[in-house]
Amino acid sequence: MNFVETRLAKLARNGDRRAFAELVDLYKDKIYHLAYRMLHNAQEAEDVVQETFLRVYTNLNRYDDNLKFSTWIYRIGTNLCIDRLRKRRASYSLDAEVSDSEGADWYSLLPSDDRTPEGELILSETQEQVRRAVDALPEKYKSAVILRYMHDMSLQEIAEVLDMPVTTVKTRVHRGREYLREKLERDSLL
Amino acid sequence: MKPALRFIRIVPYDILCEANGKKGAAWKMDCKEAILLMHDELDGELDRAGAIELKRHMLACPACRERYAKLEKVGAYLRSLKPVAAPPHLTTAAIMQKLPAPAKRAAWVKWPRRHPAATVAVVFLVVMLGSFLSMWNQNNQLALQGDLDHVVIEGRTVIVPEGETVRGNLVVENGEVQVNGKIDGNLVVIDGNYALASTAQISGSITSVNQAVEWLWYKMNQLISYVAK
Repeated sequence: MNFVETRLAKLARNGDRRAFAELVDLYKDKIYHLAYRMLHNAQEAEDVVQETFLRVYTNLNRYDDNLKFSTWIYRIGTNLCIDRLRKRRASYSLDAEVSDSEGADWYSLLPSDDRTPEGELILSETQEQVRRAVDALPEKYKSAVILRYMHDMSLQEIAEVLDMPVTTVKTRVHRGREYLREKLERDSLL
Repeated sequence: MKPALRFIRIVPYDILCEANGKKGAAWKMDCKEAILLMHDELDGELDRAGAIELKRHMLACPACRERYAKLEKVGAYLRSLKPVAAPPHLTTAAIMQKLPAPAKRAAWVKWPRRHPAATVAVVFLVVMLGSFLSMWNQNNQLALQGDLDHVVIEGRTVIVPEGETVRGNLVVENGEVQVNGKIDGNLVVIDGNYALASTAQISGSITSVNQAVEWLWYKMNQLISYVAK
């Protein structure tokens, strides 16, 4: 339990804006990382960060002290990302592989004005392939895998964030890992 | 057509172990189970006993060894994607600026939050008073209570004719009372007037109530005197 964060959340709830600013400071990079990995789009990730804090801020009086603050904010951030993925899937699919060109998807055909975040260093060819494999993960495995590997959460923590039973999370992480294994194997990375 | 004969090969336990190069070792797990354990292990959820079993299986099974190595590598690849920091223009100040201004809660919001019980009591009283007053205003029909055999009603006027005697109390609501005869008790007039002729005889007292509060007072007095009895 991180008592500092819970305390900050309580202070913020009582109208202490400086306490809230500290929470923003603590979490903006983490949520950005989460959103960027989930969505692979700098602008959208930025929007998710802003929206996450807006929701946290307006729902502070509904924050339940029994929940870790980090769990709560990750839950809000993850849900926002999942919503965006669903909307995206509903409108078009860039993830669909281009027929007759090996492994390429529509992202690779986009003019590369996609703003790369400053923090994202030039990726090696291998990392680029891994990134693409993560992007291609079905959305239910995606959040579990990203929280597990890029936010170093235990299955228990992920279950709390996603608000689902540990057994479900376990299955999702397992399947996600197998999915990636197969994909990277096809890309002859394994 | 003759159904094809199906041969089921039953591999004796010993031979199976030998085939895997582990003569005499316990061969309990099949690869499916082993894969489940691998994932548990990778998620840090495998207990000691499970870990030993998995190891034992993998020592005997090259395919599972390979599989495990690959799954481990998937994890390593994922971790090679380093955390991405928020772009420099997305500062804490910028995020804070887009939040709504702190809602200044007015005193009338703060007070009820601090005194929930008192709030409930106040709301209750307001509602009660409101319904009481509205009932008071609605109820403007003539109402009579008492010995009705000896009175005459003309419109909104209740007349006790000369020579008649009303036994007991007479209560009139929302009407005029003209007393020409005798009342063997009290006369109560609520929201109305009364007139006494020279021939009128009232053995009790006359009470005239004209307002809600007075009415309430009257009712309470009545209750108290009833209880006192």
